[in-house]
This record gives sequence, structure tokens and C-alpha cells, in this order.
Amino acid sequence: MRLYKKEGNILQIISFPIESAEKGDYLLVEDQDAAKALIAQVIDVQFAAVPGVLEELLRTLPDGGEPLQGEDIDPMEIAPHITYIQDASLLICKIRATLENEMLSPSSSWLPSRSQSTIKKLSIPMLLKLAKVEGKLPIILGGTKDSSLLTIDASALDGTLNIITGKKGCGKSHLSKLLMVNLVGYRATVVIFDLNGEYTSLGISNDGKKNMYYDKIHTLTPGQNFKVALEQLHLNTVMGILVNALHLPGTSAREFRRIWKMLKEERKLNMQELGEAIRNLNCNQHVRDALASRFHSLANSGFFTDSSGEATLLDEIILKAKDQGGAIVINLKNTSNIDRQIVVEYALGKLVDSLSNWKLKAVFLFAEEAHLYLRETYWDDIVTRMRHFGIFTTFITNQPDTIQETIYRQADNIFLFNFTNEHDLDVVSRAARVDAETVRSIAHDLPPHHCLTLGKVVSDLPIVARVKALNIKTMGETRLFFKDTS
Amino acid sequence: MIEQYTITEKYNFPQPTIDTTLPHRFLEQSLNSLKQVQHQPFQLNQQNFQQLNTNEQYSSSIQLKPEPIALKPDLQETLIAAVDSSTIKIGETSTGIIIAVRGAITWRQNRAYKYTRLGPFIFHITEDNKNTVYSTLEHAYFSTSYGDSHQAAPNIMQMPNRLACLLERWLQTMLAKTLNHGVILFDGSLISGTIDTPVQRLKDILSYARRNNSTVLAFSKATTLRANGILITEHLPNHEPPYLLETTGVRFKSPLILLGDVYVARLNKSNLAFRLDIDKETLIEQRMAALKKLIGNDLYTQSYPETLRLSHILCTFTANEVLAIKHFITRKHHIQMINRPDMHRLLFGPFSKGEIYA
Repeated sequence: MRLYKKEGNILQIISFPIESAEKGDYLLVEDQDAAKALIAQVIDVQFAAVPGVLEELLRTLPDGGEPLQGEDIDPMEIAPHITYIQDASLLICKIRATLENEMLSPSSSWLPSRSQSTIKKLSIPMLLKLAKVEGKLPIILGGTKDSSLLTIDASALDGTLNIITGKKGCGKSHLSKLLMVNLVGYRATVVIFDLNGEYTSLGISNDGKKNMYYDKIHTLTPGQNFKVALEQLHLNTVMGILVNALHLPGTSAREFRRIWKMLKEERKLNMQELGEAIRNLNCNQHVRDALASRFHSLANSGFFTDSSGEATLLDEIILKAKDQGGAIVINLKNTSNIDRQIVVEYALGKLVDSLSNWKLKAVFLFAEEAHLYLRETYWDDIVTRMRHFGIFTTFITNQPDTIQETIYRQADNIFLFNFTNEHDLDVVSRAARVDAETVRSIAHDLPPHHCLTLGKVVSDLPIVARVKALNIKTMGETRLFFKDTS
Repeated sequence: MIEQYTITEKYNFPQPTIDTTLPHRFLEQSLNSLKQVQHQPFQLNQQNFQQLNTNEQYSSSIQLKPEPIALKPDLQETLIAAVDSSTIKIGETSTGIIIAVRGAITWRQNRAYKYTRLGPFIFHITEDNKNTVYSTLEHAYFSTSYGDSHQAAPNIMQMPNRLACLLERWLQTMLAKTLNHGVILFDGSLISGTIDTPVQRLKDILSYARRNNSTVLAFSKATTLRANGILITEHLPNHEPPYLLETTGVRFKSPLILLGDVYVARLNKSNLAFRLDIDKETLIEQRMAALKKLIGNDLYTQSYPETLRLSHILCTFTANEVLAIKHFITRKHHIQMINRPDMHRLLFGPFSKGEIYA
């Protein structure tokens, strides 16, 4: 390989057929005289503009249009050299870092010698070693192209905002499960908003047997094993549900606050008394109607109960998960849109409550297709305010444009699967830790189950890996009509 | 032997019975010469050698017959074959030059074009080895004595053309010896008596062709022959092509001998015409029959036979091939490439027009 051009932080390298390099590979451009090296990643592979190739191709087509047939008597065997030159490729590489005295710096301001520099492929283990992407809490994400393992440190997910995105069926949920079980393995508390009920079997192996995580997975299905009594709730949590999930107007909210305080003082805080109080409320008809309709929504959700035996003590589960490490899977499958929002408002309120009281140190929140249950104002809340409380969110989506641009700008890690749609790639490339060319070029060609990891976990050195298989019962498969008919 | 009416799809040239001494000697001399240059630095060169036309010193009494000879295509299937060769200077060493030579034969049979390319052969030509290389190659095939020609020491800068010409004449000989009832197209004229085309050599080639009932038609892409001060290819009468114009009074000064009669051929409506030399010894009827078969069997979109055009295209070196040859000599013969400064560019900067215009 020979260094051809440098423009900004883009290197162009001539590569010959025997030196196979593909998109995503890392190259070390070493200038021994300067005692420095550039670390560059191949983001595109093109044909080298070899002079005369067009003539070479054209001359095999005579005027008649049919390819010329003939015999080349080539006693000196020059033909392989012609093919060798013709098949030369131009590697478009993005400079990721400069290596000097075994230290990496993000600089690309110097120019290596074009004639003297040596270029060789840099293996992923060596790259990770140089970037010091090692730690005491390894998580093996998967295998790289050079048959090495891509291992990240769990602590690099701590305090971060992460996005897992890619088109349908390419392995997003699989990766999020992998991250979850590893975090749980390191005794972290994980909360999952499980839209399709596919995380409920995290504790069960492929063969149907209980796995090592079985006791640490707590699945809560609203209306079934996840119900709350009003007396467990803090007024702020209920107000959050009414205002944000059920859109209760301000005047009615004030009236509700008054009723709540009155019932609490009378120790009559239950659904039956609340309904009665609203019915008997002496106020404007519109206010009463507004409160009555919200009450019916709460009652119909099946999430609220007056029976203390039925009520789930989320605090206890959180504490259990805190001590041993565990995942609280909030199963939102078969839950209506309004009910989902009620449950999520409650869960988030409860988490903030626990975190602000230091009952919990921090929690890793995995939110799948969050736009379906998260109110708009919550996005910024989650990445700014709640982050300070210790909620570290991972958004999982196949519709990257449903996540606000501000979220991308603040994302610390992006796990990007294949996208063919340019619009989707444009959205993802707005992330601050990502360069648009890399996203557009590499993500476009990622095979299924291959993930481009970007951000803090890989020290800003984007790496492609095939996500490791998990011995966990699959639940995220799409139900098919024709599956068993053949 | 090549049979015009053979049903064989493959063109069997060269046949095992044919003397292939020259290619073997080409390879042998090529490898020997390259051994001498190992571990020497050499200067790259992209300058193409144009095969220069022989300086046509002719008498000024040329006349064109005003009446054109109309040609009607003869569709009877006839094998049309053409030969061309090419050479290029790859670079310079401290003792000489590195050149590449290649030849091509193209033919049209069963409405399809086919070809055989021979080479490239790469030579390191120095003052010390130029005579050996040339005379060895010449003796390898043209063992017949052709007078003094082979004794003349070629200038080192003429060697690329001399070697290319040698290969081309050998290919022409092979074709003339093997093709029956065909039309053989040469690139250039039928002038002999030059240093690289002794009279007897060309006579022999034409004689082999005649013996096999084939006709040699030599097309020149450019000519300096003038009638009444105007180039003969620009005297185009208002007549429906294809046609021939006959010339008279073409005589060359000694030692040049023209072995053909000169015509101007305009084969289609494009406003282009070419000098055409046809073997003097061929009967007029056979000449016309050959031309009719040519236009009945070959394409001639720019009034120039496609078979001959393809021969030229196939043997010409592309930039890609030059790079490959440089790669070959660097890898196989460990010749270090250097870029010596171009003195013209160094001294005159943007006002330099390069060595070729010096």
C-alpha cells in the first residue's frame, strides 16, 4: 500500500490486489523518520484511477459491438502485472488518531512522508490496546472481521446516553439484551421498557431451562403482576400521569391536587374514594367532567388497585435489583397507548424518587421505540436532568428520526446496524461523536447482525463487529402467517 | 495451414510446423538484455515512439488518373488478416534504454474478429549489446542474406523501431506463408531498400503471399506523395465511393525501391482517403478482386479497414500496460526506478514543452 493523498482528515491510499483491505479496516501509516504514525480507517474502497484502463476496456470491443476473441502469446508473462495494476484500488480513509510514543491523540495535523511511510493493517486487538479500550468490567460485544473479539468496558456505559439503531431485523434487540445481561452480571440495576414483550425471557436459555440470570430478571406486566395502590403514590407522580399522559388542563389539575390532599388527610386515598370525591365535587361542570374522564382512564387501565395485597411494591423490587443486580422488565406488550404512558410516567417518577432519595445509586434504562410512550418534554429531561439523578438511558429504535436531534448530539455511544435509507443515515450522522462519511459509507454496507460501534466505549475509534450470539430464549420474532403452512 | 473455407473456429496461427524461432530469440534476447540491467537505477519515460514513415524521396512526376475505378463489394466469404506492431520506450538506464515491443495479427472470419498478440518483449538496449541483439534476431529468422542491411549498426534511439519492424516483418511472413486465398493488410507502404526493410525481404513476403493466392494490400495512414503539389489523398473526385484512383509516375530515389503500385482508396462516404500500395506482381484482376472482397467482408467506417485498425489498437501500449511493464521489471529484475529531473521543465518551467519538441 502506498500513501497517495491527504485532504483534511481524509487519506487516500493505493492498494494492490494482494493487499486486501475493506471498509471498516484500520491502517497504520507509519513515518519512521517522524517517529509518528497515523491511524486511519477505511471508509470506502474505489477503483484507482489507473491511466489507460478505459482504453484497455474499449479496445476489446470492435465496431461490430461483440467482444474481440483472441489469444495473447505473452512469453514474459506481463499479463498478470497488467491485471495487478488494473485491479489496484483506492482506499478512502478517515484519520482517527496520531500515534506518538505509544500514546494516541486525535490530531491529524501532520503530514507523513509519501515516499517513506509504510502502511500496514492494524488488527483490532492492537488498536484496542493502543486506545486502552480495556477495563475491569469487560463486555464481549462480538467478533471482528480479523477473528478477534471486540470487548468494551461496562464502565464506559456508566453515566452515558446510548443509542442502538438500525433497520428492522438486523439485531438491535439482540445487542440490547447482550448489554443488559452483562450489566446485570456486574450487579447493575437495569430497567427496560419492553414494548413487544421480548425481554421477558432473559432468564431462560434457548433450551427452555433457567439460566444464571433467572433470579435477577423481574418481569412486571401492568394490570397483571404490576398494579399500584394510590396510597403508594406521591402526588407529583400522579400529577405527572394526569398532566403529561392524560393531558389534564391546569385548572382541573389544581382541583385534583386539592381533592388528593383532602383524601390523604382523611386517609381515604383509594380509587373508590377518589371517584366518589370527583363525582361529588362542587365546581365548574367542565372541570368535573375533565377530572371524571381522567379518573375513568386511570380506572380502566387496570394498573391501579385498592387492594394492598395486589399492589406491587416497586421500591422493593428496585432494592432487590440494587443489592444483587437485576433487570426490571416492564412488559408493555398488549398495553394501550394511554396505559403505556401512565405506566411509564409512574415508573420514571418512581425511579427519580428512588434516585433522589439515594435509595438507588444509578439505573440503566433501556427504552425501546420510546416515541411510542415518552412524552416530548421527557426527551430532554431524560438526557439532562435525569442523567444527573443517575438514569443512564439507551434508546433502541428502527426509526432514527423519532429520536430528537438534541438526543443525537448528546449521545455518548451509538451502536449502528445496517440502514439502506439515506434519510435514516443522515439523521444518525448528526451525532456529535460521529462523522457523517463514516456513518453513510460503513453503515450502508453492514451485513445483518453486524454493528458499527461508535463513541466512548471504543475511544471514538469506530469498529465493526458481528454481535455475539446469546443463549437466551428468543421472544422478539415476528409472528408469521405462512411459517407452518409449508 | 490457414484454410479460407475451413470450418474451424480457431485461427491456428502459428502452427507447430511453422518456424517460431524469432519469438524464441526475442524472448531469449529480451531476458539476456534485462539481466545486464539488474540493480541499476533507471529513469522513467512516457514518451511514445511513433513509427516514423520512411523519408519518401520521390520524383515529382506523380499523376493521378482522373477516372476513378468503381468498386463493388464481393460478399464471397474471404479471410481478411492484418498485421501491425508497436514499440514504446519505458525508461532509460545509465547505459541505455528499456523498451517494449509487441505485434498483433487480426483477422475477420465468419463475421467475427479474432486476434493473436505476440509480446510484449522487453529489452534493455545498450551501445554494447545493440548489435548483438539486432543481428541475433535478424539471423534467427531472416537467415537469408539480404545484402548489407544487417551489418548497419543501428543508432540506439532507432532500435525500438528496428526491433518492432523486425517483429512486424516476421509476422507478415508467417501470415503470407500460411494464408490461402485471403487478403493480407499491411500497415504502411510497400517501399523497400530501407535499413530495416531490405528489398529481398519484402519481395519474399510478397512472393509467399502470391504463391498462396493471397493479395497484399498496404494502407498508409499518412503520405507525403503529391500530384501537382497537392497530396494524392486530397484529390477526391465527385464520384460515389467506394473507388480507387490510380497513380502513375511514382518513382523513388535509390536505394528505395517500390514493390507495389500506388493507389488512392476511398472506401466510403466519409471524406477520408488513404494511400494504398498493391503488389506490382499481382494481376490487375486479382488486385480488384481482393479489394472487392475486402469491402465485402470487412468494416470500413472511416474508409480504413477495421481489421487493420484493430491490429494497431491491439498492439499499441496503453498507460496501464506501461505501468505494468515497469512493475514487472522492478519486481522480476530488481531494477530501481528513479525520477531524474526533466531539464527542460527544470530550466523553463511552464514554458517547457518537453523533450519531444526540443
